[in-house]
Amino acid sequence: MEKLFDILSNFAIAFCVLNAALYVFRFKEKGKAYKIFAVYLVVIAVIQLNASFLKYITPIKNNLFLFHFYYILQFIFLTFFYKELLKQKWLYAVLVIVLGIIAFQFIQSPAMFFRYNPLGVTLTQGFIVVYSVLFFYKYLHDNNEFLIINIGLFFYLLSSILIFASGNLVFNMELITEYGYHLLLNLNNVLYLGLQFLIFVTWWKNYYSKKTIK
Amino acid sequence: MVEELLLQEDYQIVDLILIAIALLVVMGLAIILFFYFSRKRIIKSELEKANLKIANQKEVLQATIITQEEERKRIAQDLHDAISSKLNIVSLNANMLSLKDISSEETNKIANSILKVTGNVLESSRKIAHDLLPPTLDKFGLDAALEELCDEVAESDTFQVDCHLDASENLLAKDQELHVFRIVQELFNNSIKYSEATTLSLQTEIKKNLLYLHYSDNGKGFDVLEAKKAKGLGMSGIENRVAILNATLEILSSPGNGMVVTLTLTPSKDEN
Repeated sequence: MEKLFDILSNFAIAFCVLNAALYVFRFKEKGKAYKIFAVYLVVIAVIQLNASFLKYITPIKNNLFLFHFYYILQFIFLTFFYKELLKQKWLYAVLVIVLGIIAFQFIQSPAMFFRYNPLGVTLTQGFIVVYSVLFFYKYLHDNNEFLIINIGLFFYLLSSILIFASGNLVFNMELITEYGYHLLLNLNNVLYLGLQFLIFVTWWKNYYSKKTIK
Repeated sequence: MVEELLLQEDYQIVDLILIAIALLVVMGLAIILFFYFSRKRIIKSELEKANLKIANQKEVLQATIITQEEERKRIAQDLHDAISSKLNIVSLNANMLSLKDISSEETNKIANSILKVTGNVLESSRKIAHDLLPPTLDKFGLDAALEELCDEVAESDTFQVDCHLDASENLLAKDQELHVFRIVQELFNNSIKYSEATTLSLQTEIKKNLLYLHYSDNGKGFDVLEAKKAKGLGMSGIENRVAILNATLEILSSPGNGMVVTLTLTPSKDEN
């Protein structure tokens, strides 16, 4: 069972790297939203690779500080991404406020760097979920190339909020066992694979087939 | 014992989190499905709307083409009956004149006949041209043209025509005048053809910068709803023109009670 989950986790990372490569491949000729999304994928892939690197090669056990990079950068890039799609300027205001809150948290307790940040995760992912709902609404009677990606982001970010928010439980071993914790993380992996799959489907439907027809 | 309890507690928390995540997943699915089905529905209704519009346009186009063909047929008929056949007579007579053994008395007779026939032809061609587009409308405006129309209908002695025209001089743009004139022409035509009326009345008045045109006959009337369903060419022509004019048309009629039509229109001379 453990091994299966390990494979799953590695597969998710490989998929993420593959998607990033696929999106970067046709970077130049696309619109602004596409470019932002491609950069987002690359950044996330780099963070994921870094995590694997730490896990398999270096003896450092705690790679949680990478997680802060993950959700903060994700929030920044996806805010720009949705700003491009929704054409709403108040997204920038939200970005500044949320980053301000997180910065304040770090100043208050720098030790948080090696723990989970439930509030930060909830705020950043929650806002992106709101954006994705707005996107659904905006493109209710219109087509958009990012509709499938939007479904993936909405679904993954919504369901993974709780997984990350409950991450700190692992530091109180009286409350949760290693097994329970792993169960949650693997659930996250499965959901994440779903997101990556939808990103891949978008690429396949919108960008790959056109190229072969021409 | 204590360990077991702890383990139980642990599972409780994990269970709780799992249940919450499952709930979020279900909610997310519900929202996505909701958007998906709404989207499908909206696209479907938009498609229906577009199809309806296309069908409507086709109908208008068809009506236009049929009207055009009918008009051509009528003109061809008029030309044939009133001009070609008579010019034949002229040509025949002229041919006879060219014969050498012909007395001066006969020459005079033939010349007179030619004169008479050409006079007729001239009159006919003038009439055909007039039917196509009355020069009065172009030269003297809508009021004069409508008055002339009334006079022409009254000339036949089958109808008594009441014509009261408020001076709408220079109020309407040229193309608006033409549409209004055509509508009135069609109304007269309908009354003459179908209504068995004895009195027709036409009135225009200007109130609060709106032009009201009242038309009525005392004929046998018709069921308005059924007439709308079975749109004839004349009726759809009137409706198309009303739509172009951005005017409103009200038709009141029922079997046995004649017909009253009111056209309300905003003059738009300024725009042109």
